Amino acid sequence: MKGSKRAALGVVLALCCLCACSSKGISASRHSVALVAKSTQTEFWLSVFAGAEAAATEYNLDLSIMGPETEEDFETQNRMVAQAVEDGAEAVVFSAIDFENNASAIDEASQKGVSIVAIDSSVDSQAVSTYIGTDNYAAGRMAAQAALDRVDGDLEVGIVNYDISSANGQERERGAVDLLKESGRANVAAVINTLAQAESAREDTIALLEENPQINVLLAFNEPTSVGAAWAVEDLDRSEDIFLVGFDSNVITVDGLQEGSVDALVVQNPYAMGYLGVESAYKLLSGQGGSLESTVDTSTQIVDRENLFTMDSQKALFAFEQHLN
Amino acid sequence: MKKTLSTGLRTTTILVSMVVGVVAIMLFCFITIFLDRYRSAMVQSAQTSTAQAVAQVSNTVGNYLGDMNQAMELVEQSMWEEVEGRDELLSAFLKFRPDVVAVTSYSREGELLDCWSLGREPREEIFQNLSFDLEKARDYLGAYMTAPHVETIFEGYYPWVVTMTAPLTQAGEAAWVSLDLSFSSISSYISNVSIGQRGYCFLMDEEGNIVYHPQQQLLYSGLKAENTPALATLADGAYADDTVIYCITSVEGSDWRIVGVSYVDELVNRNVHEMIRLSFLLAGVLLAAALLTSWLLSHLLGRPLRGLAAAMESFETDADHFTYRPVGGTREVRELSASFGHMVLRIQQLMTTVREEEINLRKTELKALQAQINPHFLYNTLDSIAWMCEQGRNADAVKMVHALARLFRISISRGHELIPIEKEIEHAESYLQIQKYRYKNQFTYEFDVEPECLSYYCNKITLQPIIENAINHGLDLLVEEGHIEVRVYQQGEDILFCVQDNGVGMTSQQIESIMQHGPHDRTGIGIKNVNDRLKIYFGKNYGLHITSEPDVGTCVEIRMPKIREGDYEGK
Repeated sequence: MKGSKRAALGVVLALCCLCACSSKGISASRHSVALVAKSTQTEFWLSVFAGAEAAATEYNLDLSIMGPETEEDFETQNRMVAQAVEDGAEAVVFSAIDFENNASAIDEASQKGVSIVAIDSSVDSQAVSTYIGTDNYAAGRMAAQAALDRVDGDLEVGIVNYDISSANGQERERGAVDLLKESGRANVAAVINTLAQAESAREDTIALLEENPQINVLLAFNEPTSVGAAWAVEDLDRSEDIFLVGFDSNVITVDGLQEGSVDALVVQNPYAMGYLGVESAYKLLSGQGGSLESTVDTSTQIVDRENLFTMDSQKALFAFEQHLN
Repeated sequence: MKKTLSTGLRTTTILVSMVVGVVAIMLFCFITIFLDRYRSAMVQSAQTSTAQAVAQVSNTVGNYLGDMNQAMELVEQSMWEEVEGRDELLSAFLKFRPDVVAVTSYSREGELLDCWSLGREPREEIFQNLSFDLEKARDYLGAYMTAPHVETIFEGYYPWVVTMTAPLTQAGEAAWVSLDLSFSSISSYISNVSIGQRGYCFLMDEEGNIVYHPQQQLLYSGLKAENTPALATLADGAYADDTVIYCITSVEGSDWRIVGVSYVDELVNRNVHEMIRLSFLLAGVLLAAALLTSWLLSHLLGRPLRGLAAAMESFETDADHFTYRPVGGTREVRELSASFGHMVLRIQQLMTTVREEEINLRKTELKALQAQINPHFLYNTLDSIAWMCEQGRNADAVKMVHALARLFRISISRGHELIPIEKEIEHAESYLQIQKYRYKNQFTYEFDVEPECLSYYCNKITLQPIIENAINHGLDLLVEEGHIEVRVYQQGEDILFCVQDNGVGMTSQQIESIMQHGPHDRTGIGIKNVNDRLKIYFGKNYGLHITSEPDVGTCVEIRMPKIREGDYEGK
């Protein structure tokens, strides 16, 4: 009698264990990921967000997206990273405005056990698990090559770049300048660093062109500077004699391509950056971090007047998602 | 016996493990079969749910296309009207249908004639118009529809649209009219379709070109790929491989096909894994329960039985000193144990009875022996007395007759077994006296008795057989004069009798033979009987001890406890 009581007790205990195990197994927690961008305004970044959200839905993640007003405000970015960590983000997908000045915030976050994925523009930190974005040096060379291919004779090049501390802009510039030097028929007449806002880029470019009237090639290295440069060329009515190579897709630069003020665009793949960035964060959080490569090159392509409306260019230039609203 | 016991135990263990093993194998088989069924059911249900999702998308896209046809009819009708009426109708239509991006008409040469769009004017110089392709329009006799493309006729406005172009049959400048319908409703609809967590839908045409994919950007940049050529060859239906379930449905009234992609891993494997985990857990619990039960059974049955067996074994080895302790357990075992207890008591009682009876028998036997007088001795003694009388040695004859009389009196002692040591000494002395006469003073004797010993009791006729042995075997063959010394003294709680002669002595074989066998050739009490008697009366520790050395002599030591009158009367 005593024995059977003990047996019953044993069975009950075992069942309890079973229940505990199964209930623990079923409930799976959602990982929390924060995406800290350089900006929340430009089409480039909207496309990044679209990709990020697609991945967040696919992998069942809590995604919060944030970014400063201007693409120079690394301090706000640092605050946002700290805030995201405080709010419980387990991984941060980050695009650094300032290669050096953002590093401390990222290191700090990393010390708290947060995984770091860099997209678009990397940061000077060992904590970065993987970089997903354009091979910026190659993209810079691509922009220069586009100009070299399509302009005969000597090239007087003006470069409209954005914040000097941003890693990707500097990489692009280096790539372009290297190739221009290699070509032997190009001279970099002037380099300006303007704010990553179309209006200031416009004014600075006008000043640049007025100062250096010999310039026949302009290279602009991101979306706002490209828009500003296109406006400037239009304002000065120099669409015909200035070959402008811009970056990224924007309705204004696409208009410019058709009208002549813009001659080629280096189109990146922001959707892929956002998607792969969040996907990598998920992999890091779910213990598959080993399969990540340290650098993932999202493709870039040149769009000019000839291939502007091919199906591939359409898909590269015009995201479906941006017309949802 | 012990060996069979342990083999038995081993058999039980083997039996238990066999049962557990069979249960485990059966459980495993059941689980495997169950999981297999479960998995195929899950795959089936995943396919069904994918198919449902895809069918819904197909309906929506079909509706969209049907809607487009309707809109086109309206546009065509309006084209019949005069210019003013037409403008009015179309602007009303555009207000009513905000998803129509533009309506355009083209001349026979493919020039853009008119454009109606809500709040927008086309560029003055259109770089490239993707909404109208003259060659394609000429190839088609009726209306046709393009794949989704970007609207390119406006400045700063590049929505994705699907264009339907229809020829205008009535006389007039315009030969074709195109309707650009926004694709965003469909694209966002398809984008939002999710099958499970990660599954999705995409649109392709019959050749396998992707019309719309929620992750276009990943596709064209090569970061993701769809095997559309293979999918294009498949008929409508659901296809499952190890990782992915594809479900293909054609959209009615077009060459578009919807492909639903869902992941086996997510829809099936996760559930199956959960089920596997649960099943094995359950199996583990069942096995544990089985083991527990068998352990309990062995605890309830096996252990008490083993205890009982051990008790029986120890009873077997030493039945006398075995005390039985009852064994607990189930009712059966307790009954068995009680029976065994009874049996043990009964056997022990029987054993005691048998032993007592045996002792009584021996005592009776010994008493009978004591009562007997060696007839040779009597005859020789009487012969000696007669001879003395003849010689006129009357005093000696009187002495002999007295000694003989004393000998007999003490031998009988009114039937008492125990007599005072004093009497026993007297008896021995009488015997020695008679023998001394008979042996014509061939030996001398001497008594050395501690006076304290005299009042203790001893078995009667203890010394006489030993003295007899000493004379017959030790002194008879001796050439010189023999000597017998009898000593009685105390040693602790015991009294020792010591009969020492200086005869020829004995070898150890002789000693053994004397101790083992009774007298062969004569009646009377032998040394063995004396020894047996002492042991029966007082226990193992008492009795005879013979030390002898050839040609030196023999010493027989008798040990017995100090006994007072009445101590052993019962025996």
